[in-house]
Amino acid sequence: MTMTLQLGEKHFSSAQPEAAARRIVTFKVGDRTFGIDVGMVREIKGWQATTPLPHAAPHVRGVLNLRGVILAVYDLRTAIGMGVTDASATHVIVVVDVEDKTAGLLVDSVSDIVDVPVSAVRPAPDLERDEHGLIEGLVLLDSDIVALLDLAAVIRDGGGEAQLKTSRAA
Amino acid sequence: MDPLAELKQTFFQECEELLGALELKLQALDEGSSDPEDVNAAFRAIHSIKGGAGAFGCTELVGFAHVFEASLDHLRSGRVAIEDAPFTLFLRCSDAVADLVAAARNDEPATERPDLLAALEQVGKEPVAQAPAPVPEPAPVAIPAPAAAATHNDAPPGIAALGNLLAMVEAKTAAPVQPVDDGWDDEPVVVPAPAPAAEKPGRDLRLRITPENDLFRRVIEPRVVLGSLPADDVVAIRCDLSQVPSLETLDVTDCWMRFEVDLRTELSVEELHGRFDFSLANEEFEIETLESASVAEAAPPAEPAAEASEVPSSVAADLSAILAKLGPAPEAASQPEVAPAPALPPVAPAVVAPVAEAPAAIRTAPRSPANDQSARQRQAVSVRVDLDRIDKLMNLVGEIVITQSMLVECVRSLPYDVYAKTAEGILTLSRQTRELQDHVMAVRAQPVKAVFQRMPRLVRELAQTLGKEVRLVLEGENTEVDKTIIEELADPLTHMIRNSMDHGLETPDERTDAGKPREGTIKLIAEHRAGRIVISVTDDGRGINRDRLLAKARSRGLVGADEKLAPEEIDQLIFAAGLSTAEQVSDISGRGVGMDVVRRNVESLGGRISVDSEPGRGCKFTLALPLTLAVLEGMVIRCGDDRYVIPIASVIETQHLASTPIERLPFGQEVLRWRGEVTPLYRLGEVMGSTGTTNENIVIIAETERGNNVGIAVDEIVGQQQVVVKSLEANYGTVNGASAATILGDGLVALILDIDSMLRLAASGGRPPVSDLKMAG
Repeated sequence: MTMTLQLGEKHFSSAQPEAAARRIVTFKVGDRTFGIDVGMVREIKGWQATTPLPHAAPHVRGVLNLRGVILAVYDLRTAIGMGVTDASATHVIVVVDVEDKTAGLLVDSVSDIVDVPVSAVRPAPDLERDEHGLIEGLVLLDSDIVALLDLAAVIRDGGGEAQLKTSRAA
Repeated sequence: MDPLAELKQTFFQECEELLGALELKLQALDEGSSDPEDVNAAFRAIHSIKGGAGAFGCTELVGFAHVFEASLDHLRSGRVAIEDAPFTLFLRCSDAVADLVAAARNDEPATERPDLLAALEQVGKEPVAQAPAPVPEPAPVAIPAPAAAATHNDAPPGIAALGNLLAMVEAKTAAPVQPVDDGWDDEPVVVPAPAPAAEKPGRDLRLRITPENDLFRRVIEPRVVLGSLPADDVVAIRCDLSQVPSLETLDVTDCWMRFEVDLRTELSVEELHGRFDFSLANEEFEIETLESASVAEAAPPAEPAAEASEVPSSVAADLSAILAKLGPAPEAASQPEVAPAPALPPVAPAVVAPVAEAPAAIRTAPRSPANDQSARQRQAVSVRVDLDRIDKLMNLVGEIVITQSMLVECVRSLPYDVYAKTAEGILTLSRQTRELQDHVMAVRAQPVKAVFQRMPRLVRELAQTLGKEVRLVLEGENTEVDKTIIEELADPLTHMIRNSMDHGLETPDERTDAGKPREGTIKLIAEHRAGRIVISVTDDGRGINRDRLLAKARSRGLVGADEKLAPEEIDQLIFAAGLSTAEQVSDISGRGVGMDVVRRNVESLGGRISVDSEPGRGCKFTLALPLTLAVLEGMVIRCGDDRYVIPIASVIETQHLASTPIERLPFGQEVLRWRGEVTPLYRLGEVMGSTGTTNENIVIIAETERGNNVGIAVDEIVGQQQVVVKSLEANYGTVNGASAATILGDGLVALILDIDSMLRLAASGGRPPVSDLKMAG
């Protein structure tokens, strides 16, 4: 991790920390809050221009060069059906490790790191609109509902697989 | 991994190389080579395998290899003429050794081959009468005569150099007082001739053998060296241990023994030289003609012998005393060669060296000798390096290339006076970078031999199964290519050869009927051509049966019922995926098993494969591969806002679009008239969905994998440079139209175009249907 997360840590409850807790990075897209396990986050960097890929899925913004490694950037806004992020210098790419790949997640801003007891994670309601199963669970945090993301699903639908499929079909 | 396992791993790797070499040499001999070096090389290979196997306790392997080696030794010593040698048997034995090695590697029980062993033992039996009979051993002062050593069948515990080394280590640690443990089967140091040779005719020669310290590491041992002398001619052998350093400083893998051999022989000096050809470098021995009188003087080497062999008992207690006795008399020890001593001074005379001085002398002596240095200059020293490390180096060089092209961009914006100087520096830097890159690539380069060597065995086995007679011709085995490519080559080559053998070549009877020699020929040739490596597999078989292939393709719907194909186009169907997966294809068409897999493999390496067939005459598959997967020479082009890289190897020509007549066919396909051909034109921006305005000015004529040409319209040619190939699959997936990506000077990513994949993309109309996406989710 080259950039340290300088974010105030907020504990879920002031009571003694539970043994089984998940440490979660939360970030925002519009007014929605999302979260992923901190262990999956490699680094957080400012927006950087990407090279578009031909005929990729809509939420694949393109590829960028992270110190010599090529990785794809996925627009979370597009993935959740809220349009395309008009990326600017203030936007943030969360570099994550998913399965054996490294990917970038384009979000509006990173908000916080929180410890959440495992017991506080509710299963995602059977969302009819979440056809790709992007939401893995929900956590109530103060007044916010944090949607925990299944990154593998975000990225899988991001086109790697889809592209693979079409290329095989071709 | 523990060190021993690691060593063992290395041994098995070496075994593979050695087996390959063994097979090649045997093959060459079988085909009529009479080069004694081939015999020596084969012998050396099996000898090294045996040595290693002994060290790692692979008893079956040692046993078999030993008998094998012994029979090869008959050839080497000339007891069996090369023309009479049973090479078919030897080749089968080499396969058996390969099996034994594989068994040892996988810790499986080895299959015994008593039949082969028995056959091997017969080798050289008839003419054995001419061979010198094993000399009765005048114990304890005789070495077994080489002939005896070679024909003894009991597994020799210490014969192999590695085994010897281990034994030495054990001996040194277990019995440090044994000062003359020379790793030579604990035999005494000085050996008079097994039989007095005074009456023999011939000249008296004295041989000084001063092996380099790395003798053992070359997997040669003194026994081999001395054993290559005709046993009957040896009058006396003296071993000089004076240079053996003290125990603390002794590296047991160093050989410090020096020998002096008196010979009465009819062999000429040249012939003697020849005997050592394979074990010693020319500098390691010298031959001196003795006056016959001096032989008499040299003959009683008994005193030093007695002296030396007494050492163990007399000095068992005091280590330093031993060291002193072993200590070299500095003058005598360091320059035995420069002082062509008159016959007399025996070589191990240092027994009286003063105790006090000796240890110091010992410590310095082994480091100083001038021949140490000359040895280094002479030999091509090689290092085994983990490929990972070189990969990292390669990556780093790649990064430097990128940084440097970034600098070039930055400098452009500088004011002129500063610019001129900086530009000069950057020019130098870029030359150096390129050189660095070339060198790193050279480190990774390896001869294709590594893969080619596996093929003779494959051919032999297949020929047996298929009942065909096949001769495999290998050419260009020393053509070098990147290590990663070599590893990926094995599969495609195996497939191609199998295909040629199975479907291409006819049975011997069919060949006779067709007026061809019974024996079919398969040629495997590698060569460098225009920055690529081109490998071809040619057979003189029946060629592709186009009617059947086409019929099959039609029945599978790959070719429309009314579609007419040129003969060459039909041949290309061999690579079509739908065709080859079905088993019936191999029955009816004669070609096609797995060739689609081959093509996929080759394409994934950035290569191309093509086929030429002439019915009745044979078939030729040609593979063209990049020399490395890490960098390629590319042309950077721009379309709207996007930049792409086209591999230079695909580019045939570029020209202004305006000066090229374009026509539009029905259904909208644009074509160029180029050099009397009608060449389809694709607009890159359109095909790849580039953003920004596109204003095509340039057309690039590129070659497809099939050898057809296409025109690709782009906005601008930005430049030509070496680019570092970066995988898209590693973190993303396959991208249609691109084979990989690279990072340009400004740090942005550009896709490396894959012409064929791009054409497929264009044909499919680009965007995958939405339904497809959903299915993927």
